[in-house]
Amino acid sequence: MTALARSATAHLWTGMLMVAVLLVWVALPWFLSRSAIDILVFTGIYTIAGLGVSFLLGQCGIVSLAQSGFYGIGAYATAYGTTVLGLPIPVCIVLGMLVSAVIAAAVGVPVLRLSGHFLALATLALAIIAHVLFLELEWITGGTLGIGGIPRISLFGFTFATPFRFYYLVWPSAFALLLAYSLLLRSRTGIALRAMRDAPAAAAVAGIPIASLKVRIFVLSAAVGAFAGSLFAHYVSFISVDSFAIDRAIGFLLIAVLGGVRSIPGTIAGALFVTAAPNYLSRLGDIHPLLFALALIVAVIFLPGGFGGFMANLGAKLSSGGRRPSAPAGG
Amino acid sequence: MTFTLLIQSILAGLTNGFVYGLIGLGIAVAFRGARIINAMQGDVALIGAVMAYSASVSFGLPMPVGFVIGVVAGGLTGFLVDRLMIRPTLKRRGSEDSLLLVTLGGAFAVSAAVLLYFGRDSYPIPGIGGNDIVDVFDASMRVHAIWLIVISLAVVAALRWFYAKTLVGQALLAASIDPEGALTLGINVGRMRALTFGLGGLVGGLAGVLVAPLINIQYEMGLLLTLKGFAAAILGGLSSPFGAIFGGVLLGLVESLAVVTISSGYKDVVSMTLLIAIMIVLPQGLFGRRGRLGG
Repeated sequence: MTALARSATAHLWTGMLMVAVLLVWVALPWFLSRSAIDILVFTGIYTIAGLGVSFLLGQCGIVSLAQSGFYGIGAYATAYGTTVLGLPIPVCIVLGMLVSAVIAAAVGVPVLRLSGHFLALATLALAIIAHVLFLELEWITGGTLGIGGIPRISLFGFTFATPFRFYYLVWPSAFALLLAYSLLLRSRTGIALRAMRDAPAAAAVAGIPIASLKVRIFVLSAAVGAFAGSLFAHYVSFISVDSFAIDRAIGFLLIAVLGGVRSIPGTIAGALFVTAAPNYLSRLGDIHPLLFALALIVAVIFLPGGFGGFMANLGAKLSSGGRRPSAPAGG
Repeated sequence: MTFTLLIQSILAGLTNGFVYGLIGLGIAVAFRGARIINAMQGDVALIGAVMAYSASVSFGLPMPVGFVIGVVAGGLTGFLVDRLMIRPTLKRRGSEDSLLLVTLGGAFAVSAAVLLYFGRDSYPIPGIGGNDIVDVFDASMRVHAIWLIVISLAVVAALRWFYAKTLVGQALLAASIDPEGALTLGINVGRMRALTFGLGGLVGGLAGVLVAPLINIQYEMGLLLTLKGFAAAILGGLSSPFGAIFGGVLLGLVESLAVVTISSGYKDVVSMTLLIAIMIVLPQGLFGRRGRLGG
């Protein structure tokens, strides 16, 4: 077989796989219970929020525990905008992303000068600050009482009111963002990011504006987190401060670490674990926080590439007949 | 602000400051001996407090025995953290980020385990001297808080002596400053790291049993203690025992003055903002670069 023919066959297989995945995705809700679809909707929401964390960690080497804060900003912006100000939903979603982005830029410029454990603990401090503010700024957030009656999203007269319907809203959004992040990774910026991560000194010499690039990716991640928060608010229609506590930040980080920070599709696997595990373990009481913490430890020590890295290594091993694969660059 | 209120808030800040200092002390011990930030330090204190509570309140043992059990449990936890988490991570050449994530995971695990075991309630524990109070210029201070300050200072003195005068203390410093050089001298670097974490754990357990009578035991208390202790340790230069206490007191005073002037709800916002500001502006601490090198 010539190289050309081989690559054509490979493309054909990839194409067929994509079509099969698409068909399964479309058909899935028709065969599942309402609660199972609910889990898949949350998986989609968490995939979106987790993508931002994963990209920051994998491509910029930034451990961010602040995502729960940006997620909360998105949720509160859309809740306050629709219920109090009476603004249209799309305006509120964009508003939440803008507020998040502006705050991320203002905070990111000083904080992203830090690195290593200083930076990770600084983002944890940010998450705590955000949580306290959500509790204290009662005139916006409703404090512990929260905000109820957040309207459902509707498009051309079709209201995404049930888990079944919302599934077809959240997943196209998640897929679009997955694709966007993949494209970003393959773009000049993606190359610059990898250079910055692997050889910061050389990257600086090559003229890559390290500080501003880090801030821009942080801002992007915050905006994506806010988008996920807005979707969450419109899906559950009631939000309170409990949804944006530190355990949410841990969950988002776990999605990134479990999914594999160098693997963009791996994020879905991480998000599925984080959503499904608490649901099936709930009859044992509050056991899932312990499971999450242990999963984080085990994944960091034994599975540094996450699910995604593990699958990529496995695939490369199989196709190259056991030859040691090179580290997956991403995608 | 009246004079009494000012004195009262200074006393509260002083007490809290020594608590943060004690946590920072444990972080400084681990950093001095192993160059690793232990993000579990506040949760080691939580373990100490929970064990002391279980021993004295649930099993009815005398309070001093409960205290000792709490401190020992802290030391044991520190030792296990090294064996079960730090060592496997280092073996696989984990980065600085991996080490921090692993200890953060440990912190979340401890907090989650306490949640599972104790639930969401908070538990009071009697202090040294019960609830007796001393009058200071019409403001009041608990006898226990005075004991906390005295014991903290004693621990700092003991650590100074340990690092400067004992062979083990010197070997421990050597192993952290130049691991390969220490190895050629026959120092078991791995054992020194285990010892360092055990020592940090003892300090953490002590912090736990001393802080619990003042703030009640609650499953979420560890993380904030860690972060405030970390701020204290950085202010003190990250590896100096005395510096950590000094940084803790400074942080405690600023925090409690902020509480009286702003609002108590924003207390943690103030301290977390201070932590971030300290990391950015004073990463070497107040005493300059020398402290971080452990000398």
